[in-house]
Parts: sequence; C-alpha cells; structure tokens
Amino acid sequence: MLSGSDTVYVLRYFDLIGRAEGCRLLLTAANASWTEEHPEWPAEKANQPFERLPVLVERSNGDEWILCESLTIERYLARVFGFMPTDLKQAALQEQMVDQQADLAPAFMAQLMATDDMKSKQIDEFNTLLDRIVKEHGRILSRNSSKQHLFGDQLSYADISLYAFYKVYIVYLKIYQSNIDEIVKPKLTPEIINLILSIEKEPLLAPHLSKCDSMAAVLSSKAF
Amino acid sequence: MAANKNLQYTLRYFDRIGVAEGSKLLLSAANVEWTEEHPEWPLEKPNQPFGRMPVLIEKHSNDKDFVICESGNIERYLARAYGFIPSDIRQAALQEQLRDQASDMFAAFISQLVAKSEEDRKENFAKFDGLLDKLVEVQTKQINANGNIGHMFGDRLSYADIVTYAFYKIIVVGMVKRQANIVNIVKPKLTPQLIKLITTVEANPLLASYTARGDSLAAIVTKPTPARL
Repeated sequence: MLSGSDTVYVLRYFDLIGRAEGCRLLLTAANASWTEEHPEWPAEKANQPFERLPVLVERSNGDEWILCESLTIERYLARVFGFMPTDLKQAALQEQMVDQQADLAPAFMAQLMATDDMKSKQIDEFNTLLDRIVKEHGRILSRNSSKQHLFGDQLSYADISLYAFYKVYIVYLKIYQSNIDEIVKPKLTPEIINLILSIEKEPLLAPHLSKCDSMAAVLSSKAF
Repeated sequence: MAANKNLQYTLRYFDRIGVAEGSKLLLSAANVEWTEEHPEWPLEKPNQPFGRMPVLIEKHSNDKDFVICESGNIERYLARAYGFIPSDIRQAALQEQLRDQASDMFAAFISQLVAKSEEDRKENFAKFDGLLDKLVEVQTKQINANGNIGHMFGDRLSYADIVTYAFYKIIVVGMVKRQANIVNIVKPKLTPQLIKLITTVEANPLLASYTARGDSLAAIVTKPTPARL
C-alpha cells in the first residue's frame, strides 16, 4: 500500500450507485479512511474542478490533492492500493475489460432516449455490445484457474469493476428502465453468477456491501 | 531510444483522423517499428477481437502476439511502455485525467453532430460548447502552472501533451468534413497557451515522422483569421 495511514479520502458524488460504485468498492477494499460527500446539485457544480462528479479529494499531511473522471479515479486507487497488476500487459488486460464495460453506457442511453424510428436499431446495438461484454467476462474467467476471480486468486480491480458493472445494469438502472434486469439477467451464465456472488462475499468489501442489498436474491430470482 | 528489431506493432483503424490518433502519435514518438492497417469495414468486423477498432497488435519475434483494444487503453499501455506516462502514480493520474476530460468533450461533440432533431442539436451543442470552454480553462490553467513552456508537465513531450494535441486534431482536422463550421467554433476559443502547446508538440523531433504525414494542426490554429470587411 502506497498511501500513508494518516491519509483520508473524500468521494464527492450524488447519493446514487451511478458512476461511483467502483470507486466506493476500491476505497472499501483498500481499508482506506474515507467518507462520501453529496454536494447540492447544481448549486455546487461551479465549485468542482471540471463541473462534474465524481471528484476524489485526498488529504494527507495538511495537503489536499484532487482528481476527477470516474475511471481515472478508479485506476489511481487501484494502483495506490495494489489492486492493479504492476505488469503493464496484465494491467492493460484489466483496463481493457473496464473500458469495454464503459462503452455500454452511451449505448444504454441511446436506446433509452431513441425516437420510435431508431428504437429497434439502438436496442440491437445495445444488446450486441452487452452480449460481447458478457462473453468476454466468460472468456477471461474460463482462462483463470480460480473461478472466484477473473485474474489470479485474489480480489483485483477487474473483479471489483465487474461486480459494480452488474450492479449498475441489474439494480441501479431500473430507475431509468424498469425492465433492464429482465434483459440482462438471462444473459448471465451460472459461472458469471457464481463469480458475482463470490466477489460479493469478499471480506474486504463487507464494510460497504453490508449496507447494500445483496445481489444474491436478485440473481436467483425466477421472476423473469 | 533505439528501435527494438524484435518488436513491431500493427495499429488497425479506419483511414481517418479519429480516436486512434493519440496511439499514432505515441507509436511515432516511441520510435518503434509500426504499421497501420485499414481493414475493409464492416467486412473485417468479425475478425477483430471485439468487433471494433482500434486494435493494437504487438508482435514479438520470439513470443506470441499481444493484442489489446479500446483507444484509451492502447494509449496508456504505449505511454507507460515507452516512458510518456510518469511512474509516479499521482502524476500519472493527472495526465490520464486530462485525456478523459478531452474525451468527454469529444463525446459531447459527437452528440451534437449526430443529433436528429433541431431541438436536440441545439441542446447538445450547448453542452458541447460549455464543456469545451471548461476544458480550455483547465488545460490553460495546467499549462500556466507549468510555466507556459509548451508542455503540460515538465519540459519534455508527455502523454498529456500528446492527447491534448490529439483531441484538437480530431475535431479541427478530422471532423471538418462532417461539420465545416467546427474550425470557426473551436479556433477562437484556443488560448495562446494552447496554441503554443500545439505548435510545440508538432515541432518535437520525436514526432518528425508523424508530422511528415501532413495535416498540420499547428498551421490551422496559427493561421491568422481574415479580417471582416
């Protein structure tokens, strides 16, 4: 761990799962001292470095250091706290998976907001991309000897990011599209479901996940 | 750094100035052997690892190929492998942040470009315009904090310099066929600090092979705007 024991973090975001869940899980897994701030919005917009959230504030030795952009924050925390491999190629393979997952967000919004004439095409594109991501998760898992992790045999950035990804697409995004879980859940293989549930049981993640609804009930639900 | 004869790269992308531009700049600056492939599209789509481009293939004479995708990921890998991202984790994060911010601005640009209704186009353009203003502000602030010497950090060509240059090139040169007025929207917003960074990047000897390909961004941003009569 490269951060001092007197370092404290503040994660500024909305009081939502949104784009911050990966950051929350990393700070939790790191056993870092951290709190969350939910700035009044849009009143506090102009006070953020790039007028967007999340923002990470790192305070140590009376100094304050600020970072923006959710994926940059994630990669930073993953490196500081040892969840990103030091080998460049291994790191690139984990970051690749995370970036692919992130590609789904604009596709989700496009099919959600599409006018009638474009709806079917945008839904197809969303499904194609989602299928590809799920397939890639399966491929990575099949190549790993441990089936409780994507790479190696310990909790990694990729594991944390995968869990946050499925939490977003099965739980969080229901507030925008009530049937999203019915679209996503059937695509999950038993192996991926087991992986999600294994990550959920990681002791390092307990301080945060104990405050959240478990995905276990959602994933085993036969109501779709 | 002398080119390693056992190592060569292939970058697969469309024959255009787009999201692979940062990777092209990095491959040039790294002084490695590399070639560009422009697969026939969409014919070659199923032959790519994820049906998308860019794709980077790193070929070793004594080992199997290493293949990665996702434009930002390719950039960060090359930038780290060839010393354009610092090893200090905080300094690295500050450079990556600038790339993600520029990429957000580009996504907003695309949103207004592809908007269907006039109402959507106006709304999306306002978002793009606002984000561009904010981006110019944070970029200029960083350049000033570094002494306004044509670099974002330190005194040598860095990942941050390259990606800042790349995203302006994509919009001002790459996108001009799709939106002719974009030069007149972006150019007036560029501060002297950004213009100096753009010209400094383009003039860097490490990028001589890249610059020789043409499409000078520096020429466009330094060209005096004709006076209105």
